[in-house]
Amino acid sequence: MAKTLEAVDAVVVGSGAAGSVYAAVLAEGGKDVLVLERGRERKLSDLYSSQIWARRLKWGSPHVEEQGPDSIWPNFNSGHGTGGAAMHHFAVWPRYHEEDFLEQTLYKHSLDWPFEYDVLRPFYDQVQSDVGMSGDADKEIWRPPGDPYPMSPVLVSNHGRVLARGFAALDMHTAPIPMAILTQIYNGRPPCIWDGWCDAGCPIGALANPLVVYLPRAQEAGARLQANAHVTRVLTDASGQHATGVEYYTVDGEQVIQPADVVVLCAFTVENVRILLNSRNKNQPDGLSNSSRLLGRYLMCHPAVMVHGMFDEEMENYLGTNGGQLLCQDGYDKQSDPGGAFGSSQWLIGLAVKPNDLLGISMSRPEIFGEDLHEFMREGAHYLGSMVGVVEDQPMLENRIELSENTDKFGMSRAKVFYQTSAEGRKLWQTAAAKGVDIMKAAGAREAWHGPQAGQHIMGGTVMGQDPSKSVLDAHAQSHDVANLYVGGPSGFPTSSCINSTFTAHAVAMKSAQHIVENWR
Amino acid sequence: MKISMQNITRRDFVDRALKGSLLSLSFKVGGSVLLITPREARAKELPLRHLDAGQAGMLELLGETIVPGSADSGLVHFIDHQLGVDPDDCMLVAKYFQVEPPYKNFYLGGLSSLAAAAEQNMGKPFETLDESELTQLIQEVSKPGSIIDGYPVFLFYLCLRSDGVDVVYGTPEGFRKLNVPYMEHILPPEGWGG
Repeated sequence: MAKTLEAVDAVVVGSGAAGSVYAAVLAEGGKDVLVLERGRERKLSDLYSSQIWARRLKWGSPHVEEQGPDSIWPNFNSGHGTGGAAMHHFAVWPRYHEEDFLEQTLYKHSLDWPFEYDVLRPFYDQVQSDVGMSGDADKEIWRPPGDPYPMSPVLVSNHGRVLARGFAALDMHTAPIPMAILTQIYNGRPPCIWDGWCDAGCPIGALANPLVVYLPRAQEAGARLQANAHVTRVLTDASGQHATGVEYYTVDGEQVIQPADVVVLCAFTVENVRILLNSRNKNQPDGLSNSSRLLGRYLMCHPAVMVHGMFDEEMENYLGTNGGQLLCQDGYDKQSDPGGAFGSSQWLIGLAVKPNDLLGISMSRPEIFGEDLHEFMREGAHYLGSMVGVVEDQPMLENRIELSENTDKFGMSRAKVFYQTSAEGRKLWQTAAAKGVDIMKAAGAREAWHGPQAGQHIMGGTVMGQDPSKSVLDAHAQSHDVANLYVGGPSGFPTSSCINSTFTAHAVAMKSAQHIVENWR
Repeated sequence: MKISMQNITRRDFVDRALKGSLLSLSFKVGGSVLLITPREARAKELPLRHLDAGQAGMLELLGETIVPGSADSGLVHFIDHQLGVDPDDCMLVAKYFQVEPPYKNFYLGGLSSLAAAAEQNMGKPFETLDESELTQLIQEVSKPGSIIDGYPVFLFYLCLRSDGVDVVYGTPEGFRKLNVPYMEHILPPEGWGG
């Protein structure tokens, strides 16, 4: 027998990047807000500086089943517990460019967003001011219009300076990387000390994770956060067109009904879709908000290539941030790829590395073992240079999130993913891989190489659009089918560009949340 | 839960961390729980909970061949401990590679595949391989995409190699070996070779 709780104005599912913004804006707008977080309560003091312990922040269960030739790296790219994936994100926050919102109109490729950059710009500016971003807007020659950054850029160590030589030698530009990382005291938060532990979570709050920016604001305004609340379904009335709340399970297996006037799903890409598909009912047998039959479709993931070089000078590669020191977007023009592929690309340059883990020194040469590995580790700890090329993926119908035949511990279907990198994305990746090696050599590396294709950021599945027959959400991230249901996070992105998704997820959530408050009835 | 950044300094975090560094992985012995490092657990020959002696011996030998020094650092006790942890909290890198829990199946599958490979390629049981034959076997499975009888042995190699690097280099002691600063905010609970 399910326990039914007292109704709230809004229930927000997920406490990460988007969920924390919704919670803050709605609570500050006078709404009674409850945030349900599937994972455990997490505090800043839980964030140990260790790549081993960092793995506790990443997704673990229920297992996401993957089919298809490529992976979206669901565990590595997702999170659980207070703050979600934003607790371990690298805070690389460039903006989407104007053309990213109009790819169908301008190029007859991909999809259009239901709004243009100018509409989102004030929300980018607002979020930038809230979190305190560092960068140099003038030196980012590719940057769309926007307010200047409130503080100076992040550290450039010898790592960044050496790699920048390679870009300059090939007539490519670099600029300080825009980051949601403080370089000075800001709203009581301290600046970064360039320790390179971003992936393990930043306990001093120099990196703008939800625990230090929007969740405190939400709670100050009266929002409540309930951890260990595993939301399984969005509930509706008999018509199936009005959400009445959500169902969740506690860690003890107790079934709870939380009624709400407004439901906001911010459980990240795979879980947003899984919850909506599992919310199917008599009137909506294909899942909630799926009249377009596009729920789960247009799944995207940025193809990424790690490029390394071994140098003869001390690189100070242990200093800085995991996201890098410098940025290059010379390849942003959608039609600039020499191989003719459509889409944009960017370089994140001078990543702080640790000895171990997926992005660590050892994994840069996985074939080395035995005593040779120790020799490589000693050399790499001081002389290795690293950067990552990130390229655009295309929204393809066949890339999708579905329900598995297997169930989780609450009897709900698990997620099953089919993903294959788009042909355009694969070509862009190949261009980037070759170019990256050239850049390393031009920088003076005595040896340069690139890794295999990896995947960063998970987008799509509940894409926004003007036409209800061709999208799941409208321009306010509001369901076309269920008026009091909103879906936050990168699952709503119709295009991936080559841009790290968290800043845009914040801005879209801010836009949507303000719309809810301003139109509350 | 209320969150505030006021009055929190880096020193506070380090102080808290130093207190917390007395924590280790919890090993259960005779009804008591010991908080010690995997290295100490191995030195004390604490019983394993998920791997039998044969499996542990083979895993340790493979690990030591791939990452010399990992055996003494408690590689097998680290893996054995983590095999009992909920996937959400598990710290094995296999989690990142989308290995389906329970992870024990993955490790035992890897051991079985390598034992079969020893028989097929060298014509003798794994436990009788000499050092050069063992190295040759690792060279085979370290080729990207290697599969033996349908089992992804390259992935097994990657994970075991990463486990070995974790216990040897993923700690403050490991950083010291490489002469790079650890620069912790909060020291992790003591463990894995420290």
